[in-house]
Amino acid sequence: MIDFIQMIVSGVATGSTYALMGLAMVIIYKTSEVPNFAQGEMALITSYFAMMLLTTMNISVYLAFFISFAFAAILGAFLEFVILRRAKEPNVLGMIVITIGIEMVLLGFVSWKFGAEEKTMPFPIGPYDGFIVGGIYISKLDVLTLISALFFMIVLYLFFKFSKLGLAMKATQQNSVAAQIVGIKTNRIMMMTWGISSLVGATAGLLISPTVMQPFMMWDPMLKGFAAAVMGGMTSLPGAVIAAYMLGIIENLFGGYISIEFKTVVAFAIIVLVLCVKPSGLFARHYVKKV
Amino acid sequence: MKKRLMFVLFVSLTFLLSFTPGLFAEEGVTDTEIHIGSYGPQTGPAAAWGAVPRGTSGYFKWINDNGGIHGRKLVYHMFDDGYNPAKTKAGVKELQEGTGIFAWAGGVGTSPGLAIKGYLAKKNVPWVGPATGSREFVNPPQKNLFAVYPLYEGEAKVLVNYAIETMGKKRVAIAYLNDGYGKNGLRGALTSLKSHGMESVAQVPFEAKDSDLKPHIMKLRQAKPDMVLLWITPGQAAKVVGISKAMKFDTQFMSVSTCSDFIFMNAITKGAWEGVITGTFGEVPDSKLPLMAKYKKEIFDKYAAKEERWGIFYYAGILFVEPMIEGLKAAGRDLTREKFITAMENIKGFKGVGPEVNFTPYKKGDIYSRQGTSQTFLVQCLKNGKSKRLTGLIDTK
Amino acid sequence: MDMKRDYYEDVELFSSPVVVFWFIVLIGSLYLFPMFVDNYYVYVANYIAINIIVAAGLNLLVGFTGQISLGHAGFFAIGAYGTVILMIKAGFPFLLALPCAALVAAGFGFLLGLPALRLEGPYLAIATLGFGLTITQIIGRVELFGGRDGLHAPDLTIGPWVLDTDKEFYFLVITLTIFLLLFMRNLIKTRVGRAFIAIRDADIAAETMGVNIVFYKTLAFAISAFYAGIAGGMYAFVLKFIEPEIFTLLMSILFLAMVVVGGLGSMLGSVAGAVLLCWLDLKLRNILDIPYLGEWLKDLSENWFSITGVSNIQYIVFGSIMIAIMLFEPLGLYGIWIRMKKYWRTWPF
Repeated sequence: MIDFIQMIVSGVATGSTYALMGLAMVIIYKTSEVPNFAQGEMALITSYFAMMLLTTMNISVYLAFFISFAFAAILGAFLEFVILRRAKEPNVLGMIVITIGIEMVLLGFVSWKFGAEEKTMPFPIGPYDGFIVGGIYISKLDVLTLISALFFMIVLYLFFKFSKLGLAMKATQQNSVAAQIVGIKTNRIMMMTWGISSLVGATAGLLISPTVMQPFMMWDPMLKGFAAAVMGGMTSLPGAVIAAYMLGIIENLFGGYISIEFKTVVAFAIIVLVLCVKPSGLFARHYVKKV
Repeated sequence: MKKRLMFVLFVSLTFLLSFTPGLFAEEGVTDTEIHIGSYGPQTGPAAAWGAVPRGTSGYFKWINDNGGIHGRKLVYHMFDDGYNPAKTKAGVKELQEGTGIFAWAGGVGTSPGLAIKGYLAKKNVPWVGPATGSREFVNPPQKNLFAVYPLYEGEAKVLVNYAIETMGKKRVAIAYLNDGYGKNGLRGALTSLKSHGMESVAQVPFEAKDSDLKPHIMKLRQAKPDMVLLWITPGQAAKVVGISKAMKFDTQFMSVSTCSDFIFMNAITKGAWEGVITGTFGEVPDSKLPLMAKYKKEIFDKYAAKEERWGIFYYAGILFVEPMIEGLKAAGRDLTREKFITAMENIKGFKGVGPEVNFTPYKKGDIYSRQGTSQTFLVQCLKNGKSKRLTGLIDTK
Repeated sequence: MDMKRDYYEDVELFSSPVVVFWFIVLIGSLYLFPMFVDNYYVYVANYIAINIIVAAGLNLLVGFTGQISLGHAGFFAIGAYGTVILMIKAGFPFLLALPCAALVAAGFGFLLGLPALRLEGPYLAIATLGFGLTITQIIGRVELFGGRDGLHAPDLTIGPWVLDTDKEFYFLVITLTIFLLLFMRNLIKTRVGRAFIAIRDADIAAETMGVNIVFYKTLAFAISAFYAGIAGGMYAFVLKFIEPEIFTLLMSILFLAMVVVGGLGSMLGSVAGAVLLCWLDLKLRNILDIPYLGEWLKDLSENWFSITGVSNIQYIVFGSIMIAIMLFEPLGLYGIWIRMKKYWRTWPF
């Protein structure tokens, strides 16, 4: 029984990272309909930036994180402004290739600057700090990740539902021409979306970094986050988060009771099954194409 | 038409010219130079291994600055293959057929190596010290290929033997990477267990891509082992040991020589690596051996880039090619591939920074005619990444 | 861009004798190519030709039928493993094993086509991506397939000939490539090809016109997988050694990039995309050997970045080229080619 609960707890912990990545992808997809394959690397470069601040500049963690978040937001906005906005007559595939291109460039920069060897980021909560409740181990870092994921989910949900900017973002997605007519500067909205998304993704990266950092660390979380976002419906914030936790828990239970070898791919098998039943994901209204 | 003729003439002339040195000496050897090739991932997921060819590069520079070999300088051609066998093969062909390489040194990885093994064998180009402990490079042995890297299988056997015989461990669990590297370790560990009439209590496969390792740790913990053998990547091993300690899952961890860089492992596990026992390539980074200190001072401090670290991968790049230099020296001024191979075969009891190296003349089916090293010793990590030598040299045969 | 006056002009393979002439010249020079270059370039040509086959097949799926696949490395792997296994275990000759393995790949393509009937966009992307990852995991699991230790390809014999050099293999690869490309070009011009295009442009409209969507969508997946399978089978003999970890997600992404960078829905584009990206992939590692630029990059690395990671510049260049092509010409290399043609046709006006 303790093993079972421990697996659930571990699943929730893993799911939190997926949830943050999934949220980040959903935000961008909501406004620009681009599956952003560069999401992981945007978080990666922010994490390495934070590590550089902490190890070379000798400033406090809070200040370093604050600067890093600012960096992440500016990076996202910058990428939108300089690259994605310049795409002429974009089609979805073209956009995917552009984001893959961005991903390669960012990955190249990080490995060029920091090398490939594993590193860790100094952080007040150690990666192996935790407490044991009734035989169940809970890591403090995982708790922090969980809190951040839920925090971002709620804040973003409220933001999209009630704030003026959030509504403008929604309007941009639904009909950008109409949005422009009513006076929304869609370009500026897009830039902000990318900034916010980059910030959310960076949180995931920063919370992975205290354990082990290396240039490919964001691949797995990004893919699983993307998978969770798709399963949740690609446009639904709570959907992405719930799907992410489902994936995390299923992975852990599957690894524990069925086969550890296929643990990494079971997520994708489940997604194919889910999508066969609900082609637009679990939590999105089914999209009916108009002719 | 005339142009075409000129072109053909030009091409044939260049061909002729490029073959002229071949009339006097072996391919890749000129009056003043010996061309040596190597490859290793500088990019991609396996790039941490890229320090191996860089270490070799430093070593060759040092040899050249100390007079070279019989008046010839070593020209080292190293390229990045990103651990992609198709790229490895392309690069090897380009250098072998374009520049003309006398012999290959090092070369990282099992699958890149296996993609070019047949090609080099057909051309009978000598190849010393591929950086992989997989059995397939010496089994069956191949005339041109001299392996220096200790076999993973033997190392795993020694580790498990030690755990059972000296430490009295009863329940052994094995965590292995699900590829050639891990499978070789697993095979060795199982052989040892079998010879003691025991069975492993758990075998947990890891994927190189796996970043969430808690399910694996759970699996290990459920088996209640008193020893866990970790045959996984250094980053994963760090995580497993760290999380296990935090979970109060106290057991003896043992690991492969790639994780024997205690200073580094201690740093990335924030101290949790203390107490882990590993096999070794040869010496440990802070070894007191005079030759090691000399290498560090004269090679690392002088030629390495400022971001480089005096870690096991860097000096493994030296260790794998030391016998090659020995062979080149013994082959004499009048260097040919035949002579070089004979000289390599005559290496007996050579001791550099690695274990003792012995080769014997080529014999079908005798893997130790081409597997030069068969010794390892065990070390344990102490506080702050210091190391304690547990055993003398143990034969792994 | 030329005006078509007749239906037969639309379906004919060559539009004029001049094109036929140039086509023959091209084929001829392709066959003569190995006589004039080093063996290394023949190897590179083999590698590129194989990628061209995959790109052509993927283009049918992505460019002509409007689907997405991020799992083509999976079909590629099935082709490679299928061919080698059929030859080693069942004793098939190469020329029989290759199409059989490709048919197996096509079967898997058909299966993957079934969920694709209901999915599109990112949903399809993630489903195919999952397929690509799962298939290598399964192959690695089965001991018959050599597990993670991989498999060595046997000697390649066709009738009395033993093809053991790159040059000999080249003639086989190039013949198959030309044949497959011609077949694809013909296919697109037939009823089937037009059905694919109709599905891409408006699937509901196509259905009301009487195009059987279920049949044609799965057919597109199957044909595309068949091409990848043939290419994979030959790839096994280029490397002479295969293991599951070769067929990564990165490979699938690269295949997709070839098609998109080359130009969606253009055969010529796929060829150009495959040539460009493969060539960059192989050649960019030499970027530091370029005079002046290489020196400058090394200098830059020492002062601002790290010299140990200097090779990663190739990722940056590779990514930038991909971005630049897509930004300036959404039709990819094919679009650039069309524009050049237009410009010169009316030059100097």
